Order: sequence, then structure tokens, then C-alpha cells
Amino acid sequence: MSDDLKTRVAELFKEKSKGDKKMFYIRDVVRWFPGEDRHAVQTAVQSLLDEEVLQYWSSGSSTYVMLAEFFPKE
Amino acid sequence: MANSKTPLLDELEKGKWPSFVKDLKQAAEKNPMAEDLIGQLELSYKEKIGHWKHGGIVGVKGYGAGVIGRYSDRPDLFPNVQAFHTMRVNHPTGWFYKTDALRKLCDVWDKHGSGLTNMHGATGDVILLGMKTDQLQPCFDDLSEAGFDLGGSGSALRTPSACVGPGRCEWACIDSLDVCYNLTMTYQGQMHRPMFPYKFKIKVSACPNDCVASIARSDFSIIGTWKGSIRIDQKEVTAYAASDLNIQQEVCDLCPTKCMDWDGKVLKINDADCNRCMHCINLMPKALRPGQEQGATILVGGKAPIVKGALLSWVIVPFMKLEPPYTELKDLIERIQDWWDEHGKSRERLGELINRLGMRVFLRAVGLPAVPQMVKAPRTNPYVFFWPEEIQKEVK
Repeated sequence: MSDDLKTRVAELFKEKSKGDKKMFYIRDVVRWFPGEDRHAVQTAVQSLLDEEVLQYWSSGSSTYVMLAEFFPKE
Repeated sequence: MANSKTPLLDELEKGKWPSFVKDLKQAAEKNPMAEDLIGQLELSYKEKIGHWKHGGIVGVKGYGAGVIGRYSDRPDLFPNVQAFHTMRVNHPTGWFYKTDALRKLCDVWDKHGSGLTNMHGATGDVILLGMKTDQLQPCFDDLSEAGFDLGGSGSALRTPSACVGPGRCEWACIDSLDVCYNLTMTYQGQMHRPMFPYKFKIKVSACPNDCVASIARSDFSIIGTWKGSIRIDQKEVTAYAASDLNIQQEVCDLCPTKCMDWDGKVLKINDADCNRCMHCINLMPKALRPGQEQGATILVGGKAPIVKGALLSWVIVPFMKLEPPYTELKDLIERIQDWWDEHGKSRERLGELINRLGMRVFLRAVGLPAVPQMVKAPRTNPYVFFWPEEIQKEVK
């Protein structure tokens, strides 16, 4: 996984989050990068989760990923 | 009772079975969260509407699973359940606890949460019900200290579970406890860092009695079985015949494949027709035992109805030897998960994906040969597994 890919994932998250939709399935994120290896995109997402740029949101049965800044406050 | 604040919940205590309301009231005597829970539940019964908001927070530092966020939509009335998160704790394989481990678990929970538990949830985990957000990390730290870890939730591998297997059962054909523990330890990342399209469940039963109901409740079912003949001790058969057991009526006539024959002296089994229902072995455990060559049947696709209807798992590997480090098993699991992860839609379980794309596509992707045991519904169309070019090759 390259730093470049991680940057592109983060940037696209910002772009996609401009609308009302803030939460995305991980496989939605993979689809944003049709030419990239699926595992590399997933690793980039994991890395951004570790850095707390992204955050998980879970309904209990399904898990989404979103920019940490949009995570709903209690 | 006339002055009760919870007249509707009180009704649930009147039946002859133990009531969860009684448990809640007991917990409410020492925990205000449980008290507010009762209040909110009574309100839900009165208004016929749920007052929980689900979702959000997912875990503790480094984890993306194991916590299910839950909030009250009436915190003005019930401030102690404003946040009432659920924590899933990975149960010991086969649910074998030492009492000191259970005490530690309860002590941690009394310290950090409502004191209410569900032992155990449908997946198998210990469910700790009702925790405030600021207690999540301290509770997890104390649980870790006591030797426990979180289980799976969300779009992740859910906590694998297994029957008691050779720990307590004479019919175990595989070491379900070791298989389950080994898989749990191998796939920690998949459990705690959700990356799948949806949930993925693995369950291990050590014999075809399938006491964990893996066939109905898991995407990947591992069920112990045997090859060859059922072992018969004719002396013990005679002893059963001399007892109250009517071997002809209660054993042979109820055999689903009618593969047994009893002439009043000798019991014969046509093992080629046996479908391992376990009925005869269950009825005559001293006389009949599973065959000596033992392993597991691997099945896929089981699930309860959510997006689509319920499915029972079906066979993909009729017999696999299962010995540590279970390399063949893990290779298969990973090939299947990889295919499902690539092709599955969001919230689509493995069985649904196979139904959508077809069994032959699945088999080609994971590199398994089509075998007769895969036919789900005999006398329909078994050739559904084969590609046109394969049929042509056979015809030539």
C-alpha cells in the first residue's frame, strides 16, 4: 500500500462527504478505485482508521466507515 | 401491585416460567441503569414503540467491533440509560468456564456496567448489556486484564463457536474445541477490524448431531463425520433388545434411509446408504459408535432470514481430515472469503451470493471439484454444477 493511495483515499472521502451522505460501506470505497487492488485499498482504509482520520460506524450488524470529523457527537 | 409503576411488565412475571422482568427488578435494587431500563421498557409497552436508537460507536482503541452502540431517545425521562451500549465478549470455546473466571467477569461488569448480562448471545458471545460511553475503554482494559477479549460484530468475522466436543461427548469425530480455538486465534484481525461485505459466521460441531446448529446458523459449517462402517457391538445390541428398546420399531423403522436390518439376533447396517443422521447411535450409544476414520464435512451458506430468506448450509467438501495446524481448512476458508469479499454486495451473505452467481461459478473460483454430495435437491438437475464445455467433453 503506497502513501499515495492512502492520500487519494482520504481525499476522495472528503470529496464524497460533501453531500448528505457521510457513511460508506468499505466495498463502496473499494469501488471508488476500480484500477486498484482491492486489498491495497482496504489496507489504506485500515491505515487511515489507525491514524483516526477515518472512523468506524456500526449498526451492530453492518459496519460503515466515515471521516472522523463527521462522526456523530453524543 | 396496585401502586406498581410497571403494571404492564408485571404481567410478564405471572407466567410459570422464569421472567426476565424479575431479573431486571433484582438488578435495579443496586443499579440505577437497570432501574431506568425497566422504566423505559414499561414506556415502550405502553406506547407500543421502541425507544432505542441503535448504532454509532463501535469499540475501544484499535477495535472496530465488539461494541454495539445504543442510546435512549428519552434521556429526559431515563437519564441513566442515555447511553446503554452492548459489549460482546468472546466466550471460551465450548463455553467451558472456571468459576473464578466467571467471578472475575461479573466483578468487572458490576464495576463498569449495568450488571445485566445475556449468557450467551445467539452467536455465542457473553453479552454485557448496558454501559456508558466513558466506561467502554476502562471496562475493556479490565476484561483484558482478566484474560478476556471482545468478540465480533458488524461486517466482520463473528466469534467462531463450537460444541463441547471431545470435552464431554463420546460421539465427537473431531476436536471441535481445538479447531474453533485455532480459527479464533488465527483470524483475530478479521473479527476485530471489519472489512467484509457483511457478517461471516463459522461454527464447529464435532458430530452430525450438530449441537451448535452450525448447518442453520453459519456461513461456514464444520461438522464432524466418519468414513466407512458404523462400529457395532452385537453383544450390546442384544442387551438393548432385552431391555425396553424395540430395535425394529424405534431404530430400524425410523432410519431415514432404511439402511438397517434387524432379524431379532443380529443388527446389520448398509453403510453405503447411511446419511449420518445419528438416530441409531443416539438410541444405542453402547452398541453403536461412529466409524473409525474420522474427519469433517464442510458446508457453506447457512443463515437466518434478514435480507433474504433463511438458508441451510450445503455440502462443499464431503470429507476433510482435520488435524492441526488445519492448513487445508484455513486455505479453503480464505479462498471462500476472498471470493465473497470481491463479489458480494453490501449486506449479502455467502449463501445468497452463491445463489445469485451460481454454484459452478463458486466452485471454479474456490477450486473445488463438483461431487454428487453437493446436489441439494436430488432428482432436480444435478448438471447445474457443470460448465457446457465440460459436458461436451464427457459426451465426446
